[in-house]
Amino acid sequence: MDEGTQAWLKMAGQGQPVDPQAFWRPFMDQGMQAWSKVMTQGTVSPDLMTQWKQFLDQWIAAWSKVLEQAMGTENFAQAMGKQLEGFLSVAAPVKKAAEQQVEAGLATLGLPSRSQVLGLAKQIAGLEEKIEGVEDRIDAVLARLDTAAAASKKERE
Amino acid sequence: MKDELFTMTPELPAMSPELVARWQEEMRRNALRMKHFSEMVMSPKEPEVGPTPREQIYRTGKSRLWRYTSKRTVRTPLLFVPNLGISRPYIFDLMHKGSFIEHMTEQGFDFYLVDWGVFGAEDNDLTLEHAVTRILPRLARKALESSGASEMSVLGYCMGAPLSVSWLGSTPEFPLKNYVDMAGPIDFSKVGLFGLWLDPRYFDVDRFVDTLGAIPADMVKMGFKLLKPTMDLSTNLNLWWNLWNADYVSGFNALNQWANEYLPFPGEFFRQWVKDYYQQNRMIKGELTMGGKPVRLESIRCPVLAVGAKEDNIAPPGCVRPLIQAVASTDKEYIELPGGHISLIAGRGASLHCWPKVSSWLAARS
Repeated sequence: MDEGTQAWLKMAGQGQPVDPQAFWRPFMDQGMQAWSKVMTQGTVSPDLMTQWKQFLDQWIAAWSKVLEQAMGTENFAQAMGKQLEGFLSVAAPVKKAAEQQVEAGLATLGLPSRSQVLGLAKQIAGLEEKIEGVEDRIDAVLARLDTAAAASKKERE
Repeated sequence: MKDELFTMTPELPAMSPELVARWQEEMRRNALRMKHFSEMVMSPKEPEVGPTPREQIYRTGKSRLWRYTSKRTVRTPLLFVPNLGISRPYIFDLMHKGSFIEHMTEQGFDFYLVDWGVFGAEDNDLTLEHAVTRILPRLARKALESSGASEMSVLGYCMGAPLSVSWLGSTPEFPLKNYVDMAGPIDFSKVGLFGLWLDPRYFDVDRFVDTLGAIPADMVKMGFKLLKPTMDLSTNLNLWWNLWNADYVSGFNALNQWANEYLPFPGEFFRQWVKDYYQQNRMIKGELTMGGKPVRLESIRCPVLAVGAKEDNIAPPGCVRPLIQAVASTDKEYIELPGGHISLIAGRGASLHCWPKVSSWLAARS
């Protein structure tokens, strides 16, 4: 697995056209050896399935390693950033136009727009926040009163 | 002619009784695989998640505080702070005999869970600072009131660790008994692929948030899937391999439901999360402020346990461990366990390696 991964990465790093066979060869050799061993044994045992599963696990692990290394490069991050930038360039005007159209349509029908509903939800959240603030202050005042009451009781005693 | 044909047929090699038995077992498993596969496709069952009984103690906005039923033999209550957004918290109480919360309550912990909730477009103005300085302290206070205890242990998992550390580091007056960081990034310079992808040279978070408002769940999903593109392939391969096992299938169904249920981020929260933590790494540098107060990790003096997962690609061990150097505690420990970000807290491996370690460490100090 390491042999195949290193061959692939070496070629990718040197800027040569990638030869997928270089990656696959060690796997295929290993697989062929396992198959020929099975065929020469005469009888086929259920171990074959286990070997096949192990082979696939190794194959996935190898690809995972290759992809992780490829995605951990500055070039990949840069390319992804550009893709995202391109998406946002398209998404921003489309989103704005769609929102304007929907708002205009709802206004024509005399219905509240999305931004109005969101504004209402934000107002409710703000009110809830204020109530909690008042609750916190009442708790603090009650705590102080309790402390003062305890202190005066102690003084009287 | 008939004889010739007969002689051309190769002689079948004799099979030992042991080999015959193994083939029979293999055939049985294949039949079970077919049966479970058809059940999954034709009549999929909604997995039953969250089996541990609980009661809602408090609700503020979308966020809730849950208290789980337990014998409460451990004196100090435990507040569990998970990630905000990304995924739902039922992963911590996934299924009977596969639940971190069930394990902790069985050990006698008075267990409180912060459930941040599912935020919508109306919450886009919610900042990380609001979550850390308003929601979290309020829920913690309610947990303390509800338990009747004078001190509390806090456990932060994933993003919940930097959030809770930011709160505790700016609130030294909070009666903190113990702190546990499970797979929570602290030094964001060592945070792996996400750190690179969110680098300000390649990722303009302001433009992102200003354009989209909130970070849609699909985008969050895409980011996490990209982190490990072969994950779905290996998950499905393992499912096929273990499809004969009914217990595995029910566990898979529950985990799979959770793993594909992503949550959005409120826009302003995401902006601050990316800028202050990923891009500027302000918490570990001592440059972060919350509610006008500096976040000082060295103000944490209680016993601290940090747990990293060897194959964690979301919060690699290198970004979890620095908490130990940053706090001023004398009783502090870092442990690194096998597994990844999720398998640290959910699944069979977690029940063997992680949960007993965390519960015994906490119990000895609670």
